[in-house]
Amino acid sequence: MAREKGYTKKNFLKGIIAENPLFVSILGTCPALATTKTVEAAIGMGLLFTIVLVCSSILVSLLRKLITDEIRTPAYIVIIATFVTLVKMFTNAFLPELYSTLGVFISLIVVNCIVLGRAEAYASKNNVFDSLIDALGMGVGYTLAIISMAFFRELLGTGAFTFGKIFTFIPTVKLQIIPKGYEIMMFQNPAGAFIVFAIILAVIAFIKNRKAELKANLEKQEKIRKAQEAKAAAAAAQAQTANGGDK
Amino acid sequence: MSKKHYIITAVTLGLIAATSAGLIGVANLITKDKIAKNEYNKTMSGISAIFEGAEIEKEYAVEDFKYANYVYELSEDTMGYDRYIFKTTGSNSYGKISLLVGIKEALANDANIQTFVFTNLYVITNEQSFATTLVDNYIDPLNNGERDIDDVSCSATYGAKLIRDMVNDAKEAAKALFTEEK
Repeated sequence: MAREKGYTKKNFLKGIIAENPLFVSILGTCPALATTKTVEAAIGMGLLFTIVLVCSSILVSLLRKLITDEIRTPAYIVIIATFVTLVKMFTNAFLPELYSTLGVFISLIVVNCIVLGRAEAYASKNNVFDSLIDALGMGVGYTLAIISMAFFRELLGTGAFTFGKIFTFIPTVKLQIIPKGYEIMMFQNPAGAFIVFAIILAVIAFIKNRKAELKANLEKQEKIRKAQEAKAAAAAAQAQTANGGDK
Repeated sequence: MSKKHYIITAVTLGLIAATSAGLIGVANLITKDKIAKNEYNKTMSGISAIFEGAEIEKEYAVEDFKYANYVYELSEDTMGYDRYIFKTTGSNSYGKISLLVGIKEALANDANIQTFVFTNLYVITNEQSFATTLVDNYIDPLNNGERDIDDVSCSATYGAKLIRDMVNDAKEAAKALFTEEK
């Protein structure tokens, strides 16, 4: 089958911008609200989520011709749950701080709509390479989205960025941005997560609407220009006809 | 649908389940020692955090208690009072939690009645869905002496109630195991 040129790039980028799972499809909001207190925790969550998404998409795509319609959902759930269990075990063994920070939210990746959604909507209908790219794009898109939420929550809630507390293999670094006493603790609480999420969604909606308005204006102007051109051409033709008649 | 279709479907699902079980088994073999080592290190850190400088004299599993399942008998403090750490595990509909509970021997005033008082807590695993709220609003203030153990209103009330019950269970266990004539 002939492929559209640049399809792979488009397939990867759609998960980051046009079809961002968190900010456009509004999926996976529970861990996005709960694990975005710090940028480091968000990076960890995004990483684990991407691993599960990529691995399950590859396997679902590989087995797509074997899995019949009747067992589709249970088969996908078993595959996703297996990868989540593996990720949980390895995190507990090798990144214990990340394991205790994310707690139950690692197990909850099983019920994340994005993972099952991509398996059902994409991986079960496409080849392994395309499914891998799609999952990678969605994973990176989700990770960037939760990092952006954590950026504002950590900055406003603590006034600083701290690294090395969860990923203990890197040296501990604390970057104090806002002077102590001026931080807004609310942003570290669940209410702060909802406010940051709502503001980001509002900004995205504003940009989208503005873009649509600009596009509509451009189209309108183009239409007017074309109509004017047509009118001018008709007038010129009429004048030419009149001139020809005079002769 | 044909019989063959059903057989293929069943075999496929069976194979997926078996492969999953195999993978999890292999991962368990790879990680179990490391996880056990991490938990041991965390327990040792917890013991030092609760009773600084205390040494473990005896440790063993205990039964017959709802939450307490392991006890560490520590060296006496400078006043000659016994110190114990109870490992307790509990769960509710919000998830599982595993704690080290520090219990210290004390003598009630005006009488030689031996009592056991709670000192501090240390979290080993916290899989409660309100994990950080529980730590920030209940466990940390409790350890800093800013909150009474029975004051469980903390935006994670069910978790706090569970912890209160786990501490009380550890106290009961200490009473049952270590009460002696003074």
